[in-house]
Amino acid sequence: MKRAIEGLFHRYQPLFDKGGSLEWAWPLFEGMETFWLTPGEKTRAGAHVRDPMDMKRLMIFVIYAMVPCILMGWYNIGYQGYLGEGVANPGLVDCLVRGGWHMLPIIITSYTAGGIAELLFCIVRKHEINEGFLVTAMLYPLTLPPTIPLWMVAMGIVFGVVIGKEVFGGVGMNILNPALTARAFVFFTYPAFISGAKVWDVAGKGMFSGPVADGYTGATPLLTVANAAPGPNAVAALEAQGWDWSAMALGLIPGSMGEVSAVAALVGAVFLIATGLANWRTMAGCVVGLMGTAALLNGMAGPESIALMHLPPHYHLVMGGFAFGATFMATDPVSSASTNVGRWIYGIAIGALVVLVRVVNPAYPEGVMLAVLFMNVFAPLIDYFVVRQTTRRRVARLAAA
Amino acid sequence: MPDHVVKRGLDVPVAGQASGAPVPLAPPSSVAYAPQEFRGILPRLAVREGERVKAGTPLFSHKADPRQVFRSPVAGRVSEVRRGPRRVITDVVVERDGEDWESLRAWDRASLGALNREGAVEAWCASGGWGFLRRRPLDVVPDPARVPQSIFVVGTESGPLQPGPEVLLGTDDAEALQAAVDVLRKLTPGKVFLTVPGGTSVPALDRIEGVERHGFQGPHPSGDPAVQVNLLDPVRGTGEVWWIRAWDAAAVGRTLLSGQFSAERVYAAVGAGVRAPRFVRTLLGAPLTHIVGEVIEGPTRWIRGSVLTGDAVDAGRWASACRRAVHVLPDTVERELLAWALPSLGRWSFHRAFLSGFSGAARQVDLRPGLFGGRRAMIPIGYYSRVVSTPDIVPEFLFKSIIAGDLEESIQLGMLDLSEEEAALCTYICPSKIEFDVLLREGLELYQKEAG
Repeated sequence: MKRAIEGLFHRYQPLFDKGGSLEWAWPLFEGMETFWLTPGEKTRAGAHVRDPMDMKRLMIFVIYAMVPCILMGWYNIGYQGYLGEGVANPGLVDCLVRGGWHMLPIIITSYTAGGIAELLFCIVRKHEINEGFLVTAMLYPLTLPPTIPLWMVAMGIVFGVVIGKEVFGGVGMNILNPALTARAFVFFTYPAFISGAKVWDVAGKGMFSGPVADGYTGATPLLTVANAAPGPNAVAALEAQGWDWSAMALGLIPGSMGEVSAVAALVGAVFLIATGLANWRTMAGCVVGLMGTAALLNGMAGPESIALMHLPPHYHLVMGGFAFGATFMATDPVSSASTNVGRWIYGIAIGALVVLVRVVNPAYPEGVMLAVLFMNVFAPLIDYFVVRQTTRRRVARLAAA
Repeated sequence: MPDHVVKRGLDVPVAGQASGAPVPLAPPSSVAYAPQEFRGILPRLAVREGERVKAGTPLFSHKADPRQVFRSPVAGRVSEVRRGPRRVITDVVVERDGEDWESLRAWDRASLGALNREGAVEAWCASGGWGFLRRRPLDVVPDPARVPQSIFVVGTESGPLQPGPEVLLGTDDAEALQAAVDVLRKLTPGKVFLTVPGGTSVPALDRIEGVERHGFQGPHPSGDPAVQVNLLDPVRGTGEVWWIRAWDAAAVGRTLLSGQFSAERVYAAVGAGVRAPRFVRTLLGAPLTHIVGEVIEGPTRWIRGSVLTGDAVDAGRWASACRRAVHVLPDTVERELLAWALPSLGRWSFHRAFLSGFSGAARQVDLRPGLFGGRRAMIPIGYYSRVVSTPDIVPEFLFKSIIAGDLEESIQLGMLDLSEEEAALCTYICPSKIEFDVLLREGLELYQKEAG
C-alpha cells in the first residue's frame, strides 16, 4: 500500500516540478503528497535530527479537541428542534439525523468554499497549503446558528481565509483569528440571520419539521435574561424556561452549533492542555476575568438594575459562547499574546470584556467574538510591554551583577 | 554548594551510545587540523606542503598574533594543505613517519605559580593550546590582550551522545588540570570557575584547588558552557568571559608539565551508523574512519560533534580538535503513511501530541535526519522557552528580531547570551521546521560585521 502510493507520487512528481506542465498546481500536489506520506526531505542546515511533530499534526489534534463540541452540537440541533415543536422526549437517533441534516451541509460548505479560496491563494502565491485552514473551517461553522443560509457560510469563510489570513501571508502572520473574522463578517453583514431569537433552533424549519409549539420563543438563555424584568430575576427567568445551571453546562440550550455545551468545551480544553497544543494561561485568564467582572457587577447591582447585572458569575461561565471561545478562539497561538505574562493579561481582558458586552452594552446580548477580536488587536501591544519588561530585567541584572 | 538544576532543556535520545573503557588504537597514518574550527583564528601556515615536521612543530599560527601556534600531533611530513572555497584552509594534513619530537619548556608547579599575566599568556600560547580557549559572547578564540571578568573550566558535557569527563579525564589528569588552572588564574583578576557534573564524582575534578566549583544537573544544555556562564557570571557590559573544556585544559597542562606536546586524545564513535559504538584512545585529529571502525551498510552522515550542533563532513576527513565525538547517522528517511493523523505510538517526540511525549526520554531511538514536516511560519505556543535555560530570554521575539535584521533589538533581547545549543534545541523541537540555530549564527555574523 505504502509502496504503491509512494510510487504513484514519484511517477507524477515531474509534472508538478519546476518546468513541468502542471507546475502551477504544485501546492495542490504537495498538499496531497504530504497528506498521504510524511515528507522525505532531509535536513541540510541546522540540527541534523528533528522532532516528528509538524504543523499538520498540530492542527489535526486541535480538530480532535473539537470533536466533543461537534457531537454535542450535532445532537442538540435536533433536540432543540423537536423541543420547540413540543416533542417531549425525542429519541437519540431522531435528534442526530435531524441535527446532521442541518449541520453537515454547513460544515461541508465551509470546507469547500474555504478550501477553494485557500488553494487559489496558494497557487497564486506559490506557497504550501497552510493546514491551519482545517481548523479555521471547522471552528467557523461551530460559531454559526444552524439556520444560517449556506451561501452566507461560503461568503464568510472566504472573507475569513482571504482577508483574515492570506493577505497577511498565511497562518502565523495574521493579526485576527480567521474563524472569528469570518463570523464577524457574517454578523455585521447579515445581522438578521445570526442574532435575535428566531435563528438558534430548527423548530418548524427544514426537513423533519413539524408545527412550532405554542408559546415557544427560541431565545437563547442570554437573550432570555436580557429580556427579563429589572431586579434580581436572572436565575428565575432561566428556570422558567427549564434551564438550570447543569442543563446549560451540558448544553441542551439554543445557541450556535458548537458553543452550547460548556462540558464539551471543557473536555476539549483538557485535551488541548494535556497535549500541549494550547496554553492554559490564556484559558485560566479568561475564566478569572469573566468571574471577577461578573462578581463585581453583582456587587454593584441594586434592585433597579437590569437582570443581567444580577446574573451570577458561574452562570456566565456556561452561557453563550464563552466556554467554546475561551477554549478554541482565545487560545489561537497566532492571534493571542505570546508571552506568559501577556497571556494572563490577554485572557483576563477577554473575560472582562465578555461580561461588559453582555451586561453593559445594550446592542449585543453576546460578546465573546467581539472581545476576542478586540484583544487580538491588542495582543502585540501587550507582548511589547511584557518583552520590554523582561529586557529591562535582563539589562538590570547584567549591570548589577 | 548545592547543584544548579537546569529544568528547561531536552536530552535528545538518539541511539548509538558508546560504552566501555577507551580502546587504545595503533597510531593513525595521518592526522589533520581544521583551522576553521578555531573560530576567530586567521591561519598563517608555518610549514609548506612536503616539509618534514617533528611532533610539536607549529603547523600554523594566528595571523594577528603569531604566539598563538597550533602544533603538529605527530612527526612526519606535511602531505597536504586542503583548501575550500575562496582558498580557505580546510585541512592541514600530516602523514606520520618517525618518532622525533620538538622539545618545549617543562614547567613545574612552583614556576608556573610564579608567573605574571604576560608570562602565563606566553606559556599557554607556547603549549599550542591557546586555540582551545573560547570567549563569551560569540565563542571565538579570545584576544590575549583582553582581560576576562572570569574564566570557566567546563568539566561537564550534556550534548546527545557526547563523551563527558568520566571518559575523557583519567585520575592521572588531576595534576595536569591543576597546572592548567594555576596558569588560568593568572589570566583573570576574577574567579576561575570549575563546573562539574552534579550528583556524581569525577576523581580528576574532585581535588582541583583555586577554583569555585559548581555542580550542574538536568537535561541538555545543563552542561553547555554558555548556559553555565549565563547562570553563574553573565557577561557584563562590554566585558567577556573565557571558557575551556576541562579535558582540553588538562591536555595543555600535560604539555606544560612534560615539555612535550601532548596529542593523546580520547574520542567517542557514536550513533546508529556505527556497528560497535566505542571510545578510543588515539591522537588529536585522527582520521574519522580510524576512530569509527566499521559502519552499517547504506548511506551515512558523518558528524563531528553532536547531532544538534555538529558539522557534517566527508568521511575521508579527520576528527575535530575541539569536539570529542564522531557521530555516524544513518542517512535515510522512511516515509510514513498518514502519520500526522495517527497517535504514532512508536515515534519518540518532545511534544505531548505524541504519546511518547508524556513518557520522557527513557530509551534510545534510531533518529533519522528528516525534516518530518513542511516549513511554516512560527506558531508561538510557548514550546521554545521550554528548552531555553538562559534567564530573561523570550525566544520567539528574539528570533523574530533576528529575522527582521534588527541588530540593536536582537542584542537587547539577548542574542549575545543565547547559546548555540539552546538555539539548536529550538530547531529540534520546532513544529514549523524553522532553523533557529542558523538564524542565530546569521545574527551573530551580522553583529561581528557591524562591530568590525
